[in-house]
Amino acid sequence: MLNNVIQKAYRWAQKNSIWVIHFNTGGCNGCDIEILDLLTPRYDVERLGIVAQASPRHADVLLCTGPVTRQTRDGLVQIYSQMPSPKYVVAIGSCSNTGGVFVNSDTVLGGVDKALPVDIYIPGCPVRPEAIIEGLLQLREKISQNEKI
Amino acid sequence: MIKSLFNLLVFPGFLFLVMSGLTFEWLDRKFLARFQRRVGPPWYQPLADLIKLFSKEDLLPKNANDFLAALLPLVSLASVLTAGLYVPIAGYKAFSFEGDLIVIIFLMSVPTLAYYLAGIISLGIYSVLGGGRSLLQFFSYEVPLLIALSGPAILGGSWSVSTIMEAQVNLGPFILFQPLGFILAVIGLIGKLKRDPFDIPKAKSEVVGGSLTEFSGPTLGFWNLVMDIQAVIGIFLLIDLYFGWTKMSHPSLAIIIFIIECLILVLILSGTSAIFARLRIDQLAGLGWRILVPLALLQLGLIILMGN
Repeated sequence: MLNNVIQKAYRWAQKNSIWVIHFNTGGCNGCDIEILDLLTPRYDVERLGIVAQASPRHADVLLCTGPVTRQTRDGLVQIYSQMPSPKYVVAIGSCSNTGGVFVNSDTVLGGVDKALPVDIYIPGCPVRPEAIIEGLLQLREKISQNEKI
Repeated sequence: MIKSLFNLLVFPGFLFLVMSGLTFEWLDRKFLARFQRRVGPPWYQPLADLIKLFSKEDLLPKNANDFLAALLPLVSLASVLTAGLYVPIAGYKAFSFEGDLIVIIFLMSVPTLAYYLAGIISLGIYSVLGGGRSLLQFFSYEVPLLIALSGPAILGGSWSVSTIMEAQVNLGPFILFQPLGFILAVIGLIGKLKRDPFDIPKAKSEVVGGSLTEFSGPTLGFWNLVMDIQAVIGIFLLIDLYFGWTKMSHPSLAIIIFIIECLILVLILSGTSAIFARLRIDQLAGLGWRILVPLALLQLGLIILMGN
């Protein structure tokens, strides 16, 4: 009974407080600018409890942009392993989803799912800020239904 | 016995201070958002952040001292909560003795030293850098803050916060006699709380997260709680020392005046963090020792002349 209440409180809190860290694995910086748009007065994601953090230890969600290159794969995995669980990965932009236009390049592995388990894919080149907010709202739903605590 | 237990756990102890700390964080973030023409977080945001941090995994780098990392935030939380017991809140004093102002100042400095140690033991480059910066900042703001806070004590003729408050019923609020001292105390409080013009130890673009870079989960939650409660106690202390306790016909009117004074101070803190950009550490040391200390000494001399 008490355990059940605590689990419910944890899930409510995790849903309403999403701290994100942003990592570019080799993209063109277009999607990064769109992520920064989210913090501006026009979109203001702090009203949804979403705050950008600087340290991966403080973050719950890894926002990835750009295709995963052979150079950045290890760094990406290291940043992911520094985040405390439960943790989620959101792939933002066409490159991050599938590799985009770089898909057959020798130096590119492909999308983020080649290196990490991805929870939400947000397509677009670059992604609209509204689409990122929609994706993060779907992540909220996923967190509130998810069993992993 | 039951009264002491109530004082320790409910009012003005643990429960009240935690709730007012979370309220302060929400008000601060909301005011800052409105200053920047944003909507700002909902009222439950600090509570959700705290519960979420408690639900998360506690990670530390290899070779870091786990025991000290868990102990330091608890020590700082205990010391700020103890300091809160001696600060009269809305005219209600739970415990007081002659000289409790010195004890409060001492207990409020413990989190800064623990913050420095937390940076050293967690072994990250940025945490060590942030810890060193926090100690340098401590030496810059603490001296003018102490000299400024001794002003009300000299004018009130006592080192006990409640006696200073009672002295203001006859003499009038001390802010009228020492506006300069009040401004210096607010600047010192901003430095103590590591807030925006003086957020050098935890500057995101320079040292990632300062001393707390490597902390996660419950440890980080406790640290955030310590910062919030420290802010609340600092605000209550400044109001007790500089505004005193206004005698009204009905006690609830006086409580409303106390809350309005608190909100004005929160607005001042949020406004400064919205207006000013971060100083460099050498600029802060120069500001502290070249400008704030002489001004604080000037204010102290004026008060001693006034007392005669």
